[in-house]
Amino acid sequence: MSQVDPITTQVIRNALKAAADEMMISLIKTAHNPLIYEVQDFGLALTNDRGEMLAEGSGLPGFMGCLGPTVQSGLRALGRAGFREGDILLANEPYETGTHISDTAVYMPIFFDGELVAFSALMAHWADIGGKTPGGWCPDTTDIHQEGLIFFHDKLYEAGALNQTFQRFILNNVRFPELVHGDLNAMIAACRTGAKRYIALCKRYGAGVLRQAMERVFDQSEALMRAKISEIPDGAYSASVMMDHDGVELDKPYRLAVTVCVRGDEMHVDWTGTASTVKGPTNHPFVGTEALAQTVLKSLTMPFDPMNHGHLRPLTVAAPDNTAVSPLYPAATDSYGYVGEMIIHLIVKALAQAIPERCPACSYQMFGGAIYRMDPRHGEPFIYIDPLAGGAGAFPHADGPSGLIFVGDGNAPNTPTEVIEGRYPLRVLRHTFNLKGAGKGKFRGGFGVTREYQMLEDNILIQTMNENTIETPWGLYGGEDAGVSQLTAWTGTEREQTIRGRVYFYGPFNKGDIITQSSAGGGGWGDPNERDPALIEYDRRNGLLTPED
Amino acid sequence: MTNNRLAIDVGGTFVDFVALDESTGEIQIDKAPSSGLLEERFFEGIDSLDLDLTALRNIIHGSTLVINTIVQERGARIGLITTKGFRDVLELGRGNREEIYNLFYTPPPPLIERYLRLEVSERLDARGEVVTPLDEGEARAAIRQLKAERVEGIAVVFLHSYINPAHEERMRALAQAEYPQAAVTISSEVCREWREFERASTTVLNVYAKPKLARYLASLQNELQRRKFAGSLSIMQSSGGITSLSAAQAGPIRTTVSGPAGGVIGVAALGTRLGEANLVAADVGGTTFDVALVSQGQPLERNEHRINRRPVLQPTIDIVSIGAGGGSIAWLDEAKGLRIGPQSVEAEPGPACYGLGGALATVTDAQLILGYLDPDYYLGERMRLSRALAATAIDENVAKPLGMDLRAAAAGIMHLANMNMAYAIRNITIERGHDPREFSLVCYGGGGGLFAGFLLDELEAASAIIPLNPATFSAWGLLNADYREDYSRTFLKPFADVSVEQLKRELDSLESDVRERFTETGIAPSQTMTQFHAAMRYLGQEHTVKAPILAADFADELRPLRQRLDALHERAYALALPESAAEIVSLQVTMLGVTAKPRIKPMSAQPPGEPLKGNRAIHIRDFGSRLVAPVLRRECLAAGSEVPGPAIIEEWTSTILTLPGQAATVDEYGNLIIKRVDQ
Repeated sequence: MSQVDPITTQVIRNALKAAADEMMISLIKTAHNPLIYEVQDFGLALTNDRGEMLAEGSGLPGFMGCLGPTVQSGLRALGRAGFREGDILLANEPYETGTHISDTAVYMPIFFDGELVAFSALMAHWADIGGKTPGGWCPDTTDIHQEGLIFFHDKLYEAGALNQTFQRFILNNVRFPELVHGDLNAMIAACRTGAKRYIALCKRYGAGVLRQAMERVFDQSEALMRAKISEIPDGAYSASVMMDHDGVELDKPYRLAVTVCVRGDEMHVDWTGTASTVKGPTNHPFVGTEALAQTVLKSLTMPFDPMNHGHLRPLTVAAPDNTAVSPLYPAATDSYGYVGEMIIHLIVKALAQAIPERCPACSYQMFGGAIYRMDPRHGEPFIYIDPLAGGAGAFPHADGPSGLIFVGDGNAPNTPTEVIEGRYPLRVLRHTFNLKGAGKGKFRGGFGVTREYQMLEDNILIQTMNENTIETPWGLYGGEDAGVSQLTAWTGTEREQTIRGRVYFYGPFNKGDIITQSSAGGGGWGDPNERDPALIEYDRRNGLLTPED
Repeated sequence: MTNNRLAIDVGGTFVDFVALDESTGEIQIDKAPSSGLLEERFFEGIDSLDLDLTALRNIIHGSTLVINTIVQERGARIGLITTKGFRDVLELGRGNREEIYNLFYTPPPPLIERYLRLEVSERLDARGEVVTPLDEGEARAAIRQLKAERVEGIAVVFLHSYINPAHEERMRALAQAEYPQAAVTISSEVCREWREFERASTTVLNVYAKPKLARYLASLQNELQRRKFAGSLSIMQSSGGITSLSAAQAGPIRTTVSGPAGGVIGVAALGTRLGEANLVAADVGGTTFDVALVSQGQPLERNEHRINRRPVLQPTIDIVSIGAGGGSIAWLDEAKGLRIGPQSVEAEPGPACYGLGGALATVTDAQLILGYLDPDYYLGERMRLSRALAATAIDENVAKPLGMDLRAAAAGIMHLANMNMAYAIRNITIERGHDPREFSLVCYGGGGGLFAGFLLDELEAASAIIPLNPATFSAWGLLNADYREDYSRTFLKPFADVSVEQLKRELDSLESDVRERFTETGIAPSQTMTQFHAAMRYLGQEHTVKAPILAADFADELRPLRQRLDALHERAYALALPESAAEIVSLQVTMLGVTAKPRIKPMSAQPPGEPLKGNRAIHIRDFGSRLVAPVLRRECLAAGSEVPGPAIIEEWTSTILTLPGQAATVDEYGNLIIKRVDQ
């Protein structure tokens, strides 16, 4: 058969991207859980019959790169012959799927004319997975079985028939069964939408033409990525950081270390030097470690191109077994996000030695928490989850943006004050820039945010997340490091306390009590003495200089 | 005074004029380039139509002035006054990263620098009750400080003013006393919905555009008066309704998408006449493709849209715009993939075939190479196109680098442009819970006719309709608009806590507010119509669905309204939770001042002239070898005639292409209706 022409190739490439977008519309429209339809805590993709990504939908960066390996793990576990038309499978064993147990993948094989031709797959944060902490994100687990139900390529539908016992078992073992059931159905609907669109394309162009066209796209994307890597000077670039603690051994900082080797048109990311698997739940599964390296490489080279398998061919990732970025069973991983966030920034830091003009300084790290009352005897239960935005690292050409959510939370918006006050027994006293803790530089880091809450009722508790308070987010090329994120409890009273660690069930706070959350800024970029006088004048005019400036 | 009315629609490349004689249904149209001073273009068009201004009853104006002011960031120097502790909200926004892979992602910078954002002590709680009274000393000091900074306008945004505007209203009175020259907008006057950042953004954009729009409208009005125009000048709003000059001057933010809205109103009016309730409005211009839906005869609306990434809370026709049109550039990305748009060539030099020095390949160049356009009959012979220049541009930019021949490359450009449009239509229909196969397409704008046949096949739509004079259809649509005022209010009460009487009382109070605004239009109360809507959701959700409130709802403890939430939620999200607790988030009242709709003149039974102009070889991807299509003059096609595809049907400013397997019929009003023969 002759080679597929460039127009058909492009049409098919666009059509697959449109099919992935349609999967996303289907998911968002039918999901019950706000983490899916508002925070977009999901990823989705179509892969070929080998689990190589054809097209991705939007969602959180990092998720998409986990879907191909998830399908490949299924192919290893069941073999090609183990899949039948109409199967729907579940997988969340984090060492195979890349993040934490709450992110359960749902995927389905796509058949055309009786032949396995592709997979549609997605991964989304479930409202609950039956672990120690409601809703997931356990802060102190020490093995995976404390974190919830484990699925390993288990068929919820077999050849189109629902396994009702399995479904009942799942719903009996999660905390919000209606929500979980609704989300599960939404995920299945999205998979089926992807399959329907893929089959329509097979009918129109033929499965063979589709395969050939995507091979061509893979080759083009690979060639382009190789060209992009070739622009990066050859060398080995290292970076490391000390993390505060793993949530269990609170006095034990641990190291993450990376070396990025660029040789010609290939890149290799190696995590040798990283601490062994930690006891608490902050381990980051290797599949996800690999996916984040892909995310960073794409972000540095072609942020706006729809990603496919071809982009990934020139990149390899390695880590010794059983480290914090390559944990083995039964390591806990539920709070994997702290390390995930740092994996992104560390690779950027390493590459800043080679391509400074493309690398921002480090941003503030995951910070915020929840304000809640669970026990109905103490008043109406509520939970308000508040990941606080903070300062982004300075750019090589501009100040970092202020008040942006951390990279790993992507497109998740904050909750407006008017909505908070309409829903919860809280009053917001301030929502402003935190002028402390932004790294100075030729370009300064973005400012963090201060949000101050007053309790309007009694018996309210808080939980916090925080990281990198010992080694704070760094500046680059002479730019200063950023400060720390912190929470002040009982602000303005004799009981006032500053909290930099992670607390949970902390309080109780009563009517009139105030807490003040202040996120760090980003690191600075370049020597502060080289700062453009016009920028200094801008800061002065706008009251952005602190007294010591 | 006669019954003559005139619509003037200012677009990105052209100003369109449609004059209607209501006694005969006769219309006159004209187009002028939109470059230069808008006031001048406005009156040049009037002059060229040879209209007697003294005899005109009404001029309806759709303007891009506000949206351009915002997009180009050429508005006034303004200041902001907020509740103490919240002046940074305008800059902090919602904190989300819209481009997740972009390490240099930067939200849009605030239009007001921090030193011009001032705070005053005052505070309401979420029920609108005063926690801290407005400190008038601080308030006056803030206004004086902004006056000293010589701002032209002041925006005032206080927390929870959507539920109680008293502090904002006092602030406005103080500003008018201290600094009467300043344009002032308080947030509760532009919208009464919660979410302080979005409300602040809307208020700030309103003040930002206010001085410029006010000057423009004042200068139009002066010139119209000088020319003895004694009728009314109405301004089109984003909602699809028209409003008075003074209301537009106070609320420029209501007019941001006034041009495209005219087209959608036209589509709804056309649908009423044709008996078609579900329509896709597909407007192909030189640079953008605008899509909207008309469902059950009503244009779909939304309460929020974005301009250059900045949120605007205003009732707006739900229009999705992508960068695709005749001027869209065909280019190869780094992976040698062919892309069409979203960038397009400037009006000058335009596509390569214009011969004005353009070297980039555009969709128009491809259409010329494929034989769809007649090089000697473009824009009704106002312009001659160069086939050779089009060929060079496509060869150099697309065909040679891809190793393809010229025709295949041109067909590829057209095909990809067509697919981009089809995806845009697919997404808006399925996202809003509809099936594109249940809709008819109305294709208009100068370029609509060349895509209609493709879109019909690709989407398997019911039919594709090309109205007469598609290039000026949006302007014609303006003539179909009613006067409209909207008022909404955050209500936020669970169904369990709302009585029938309470809801009635709330709606009565909304209606009296909106009626007050309506008096200045001069529409008699007998000609007004009121509609109520409720935005509702299940407890715990963020997104709402908007449902009409009908007379029958005031019964049975509002159960019928509660059930409508289930029905609409099911349509939009494939999910209904009849057992779940639900709440009413906001109430909206819309008052319409019904205007006389233009009569459409039926076509004469046998228009003069021979329709067949000749035959032309054309090339269509997916239909293999070269085809020969008859070229027909649209104005010579009699009502009832049927044209089998492929065919090219030409009219002034627009060309229509039908595909093999399709047939076009002409209805009694001259609309061309394309269907697949096998349907």
